[in-house]
Amino acid sequence: MILEANFSVEIGDFSLTVELQLESGVLVLFGPSGAGKSLTVSSLGGLIQPTSGTIVLGGQTIFSSTKEVNLPTRDRGIGYVPQQDALFPFLNVAENVAFGLPRHRRSPDEPKLTKLLDELELTHLAKADPTSLSGGERRRVAFARALAVEPKLLLLDEPFASLDRAGSRRMRSVLARVLERHGTPTVLVTHDQSEALALGDQLVLFERGRTVDSGTPHNVLARQQIVVEGQVIGSQEEGGLSTVRLSEVSVTGPTEQVKPDSSGRMRLQIPVPDDGQ
Amino acid sequence: MDSATTFPILLSVQVGLISLTLVTVPGLALAWLQARRRYRLRALVDALILLPLVLPPSVVGFFLVIFMGRNGPLGGLLETLFGVRLVFTPTAAVIASSIVALPLLVKTAQPAIEAVPIELEHVGRSLGLSSLQLFFRVTLRAAWPGVLAGLVLAFARALGEFGATLMFAGNIPGRTNTMPLEIFAAYQAGDDSRAMLYVLVLTGFSLVVVYAASRLNGRFEGSR
Repeated sequence: MILEANFSVEIGDFSLTVELQLESGVLVLFGPSGAGKSLTVSSLGGLIQPTSGTIVLGGQTIFSSTKEVNLPTRDRGIGYVPQQDALFPFLNVAENVAFGLPRHRRSPDEPKLTKLLDELELTHLAKADPTSLSGGERRRVAFARALAVEPKLLLLDEPFASLDRAGSRRMRSVLARVLERHGTPTVLVTHDQSEALALGDQLVLFERGRTVDSGTPHNVLARQQIVVEGQVIGSQEEGGLSTVRLSEVSVTGPTEQVKPDSSGRMRLQIPVPDDGQ
Repeated sequence: MDSATTFPILLSVQVGLISLTLVTVPGLALAWLQARRRYRLRALVDALILLPLVLPPSVVGFFLVIFMGRNGPLGGLLETLFGVRLVFTPTAAVIASSIVALPLLVKTAQPAIEAVPIELEHVGRSLGLSSLQLFFRVTLRAAWPGVLAGLVLAFARALGEFGATLMFAGNIPGRTNTMPLEIFAAYQAGDDSRAMLYVLVLTGFSLVVVYAASRLNGRFEGSR
């Protein structure tokens, strides 16, 4: 097991309780905004200190409230890509990527650096100013910089948040390819189902500061769907809206959402999903 | 120019440079502390940093005489233990200049450090930097234009310090008569041409320093 974490965090009124494991591949932290996903990543990275619990990374205890262990971020061996890609504005692309390498390996000819730039299609931008880059290019630089230090664990906090749909899809395939090649265990935060399905090997579902479900992305997300089934007995279309009449209807979905009211009736309002997902 | 004429110029530059050297480390440390840490006495420390900036220089000079004069707790101690007398010495001019220059450095560098996105520091830590490395390789570099402005202002303030220096270091020709003191003395004595000489030197010097800093900053921004 590369990562095992059981911890809780109390910040003001918000409390977070996390249980997660990662053997290899990509673990997706999935859930709505404010559910505690980013706080979990900050805790794993040592950017905030959990109130209690244990985090073991690669067999090493990096946090334990009982053993009073709290390894500083710099010694945890993590690669971190925050929501805002946080490129160093005073360095060019190649210097950004080489930032975490030892001084003697920061030269532009360093094989590891040139290879990474090539893998992330950044070679032609090596001397570019980060402020001149597009959103997708900036993301690629941030990934390359995090991977350059060969981290034990990569933490990606909403890595496609600032990109448009096309850019996000393109970046997803680049990231999937690079992660597969490097084999770096990764924790990825998202609230986008398509990202979770495309990149995740495992998924942990967050709700209101708790991890409430885990498994393969397909299985966990399927358990979050509401499925309505029945025999069609009639249908009509009017003004772009379809009404389908059913008999022998069954509704399956999370118990909290699929329950009749006190009068024995049930009405579900399901948002129309995004296209292209 | 004879040595009596050049002395105030050289002394002022020396006092300015030494003061700047003395306040740089504590000034940047205080700016970082106030920008990045939230602690119980933060507001009080903020007020103490600002005090020399808002108090009349004569009050600062009076405090210095009270604490570091021959009969003051610190001044008396230094004289008893080491035979060192501060009052009416060039060292006193340096101390007075440093005390009024420090707030300008802190209060200019602090917002520049605050403006550095915390994510840059988080990434820096994840890439293996210690706190000190983080400060020099990330925070200071990202905040450099503001920090440079703070250093320039602090130097200019140290160079032009008058009131506190007059009270603590006195105006002793050939010993503590910095340019601002010399301007005042020459003007009082009706020697306007001598006063004008130092006014022009001080104005020219300040202009060159501020202009050079602005150019350096422009080059720094351009090299990003």
